[in-house]
Amino acid sequence: MGTPSIAIAAWGLVTGVALVEGGLSTRMALVMTFVVFAGSAQLAVLPLLATGAPLFVVWITATLVNLRFVIFSAASRSFWGELPWKQRLFASYLNGDVGFALFMQRYSNDTERGTPEQHGFFFGCALLNWVSWMGSSVAGILLGGLAPTSWGLELAAVLALVAVLIPMANRAPALLGIVVTGVLGVATVRLPLKIGLLMSIVVGVVVAVVAETHLPRRPSPIEEAAEIAASEGGYGS
Amino acid sequence: MNGIGSWSHMLLAFAGLALTTVLTRGSFFVLPASIQLPPRIERALRYAPACALTAIIAPDVLTRDRALYFSWHNNELWSVLIAAAVFAKTRNMLVMMVAGMTAFTLLRLYT
Repeated sequence: MGTPSIAIAAWGLVTGVALVEGGLSTRMALVMTFVVFAGSAQLAVLPLLATGAPLFVVWITATLVNLRFVIFSAASRSFWGELPWKQRLFASYLNGDVGFALFMQRYSNDTERGTPEQHGFFFGCALLNWVSWMGSSVAGILLGGLAPTSWGLELAAVLALVAVLIPMANRAPALLGIVVTGVLGVATVRLPLKIGLLMSIVVGVVVAVVAETHLPRRPSPIEEAAEIAASEGGYGS
Repeated sequence: MNGIGSWSHMLLAFAGLALTTVLTRGSFFVLPASIQLPPRIERALRYAPACALTAIIAPDVLTRDRALYFSWHNNELWSVLIAAAVFAKTRNMLVMMVAGMTAFTLLRLYT
């Protein structure tokens, strides 16, 4: 358990610094961290919030970044069927990248699903991850407030997003989607209301899915999602 | 440019962000077991996060004042490329962060 918690702490620290350097006040960054609890989505929408983009663009972008969680929850649903809805809701809140990856590494081959041991492991890991994430984020937010803006630390947010993106670019269709989205995103940067942003994502995803159907060997998206989740923040390699 | 809105605007933004996070993480924990994820949709979900992140990163790094900024003087671009290469090699976020920020600082001070 030690290694993932350290990786999460490093990741939380960077996110905390980036939130403040990206333009949020210390108090706003603290509120965001405790309310939202989704590092990649928080960093992704930061430039949108800082340029006053409409809220629907902010929410759609975050949802698109969060769509990997839909795969996680579909993959692990059979572990949660029996529990009362309040506990399932609590599990939903906690089901981030690293917790999901650790859980699936341990239990994905089990035929008996939904045992007390599995639930105990999930909540134990998730709470430990939550504590190290929140502690390090708060530290990052407070430290970020101290650094002079001339250091250019707002670049930290972009670098962190690049670190999330690279493990996702593991195969040809993903790379193709990324290149198409990137080119279109730059080409449409003048369109109002960030319409170019949303458009370039849709086209990129369609191109990647179509490219995928032309490949002979297609790994299961669930296995792939677990692999990518495990490399979040550099853990799992 | 700092367009960060009022407290009420930001709280509304955060509430929506929290909602999408819990809804996506818990989507299939609360849906009835009869509802399955169609394979093609699953593929699209797999690629959406990568494309969304790219749509944020690419214009941020490659444009300035809403125009293409591909130049030797684009310190941000070269720092991101160096950091990406370091991360692809080491898979260590802290190392890549230090590499990227060091490159950016050196470029800023000496070019």
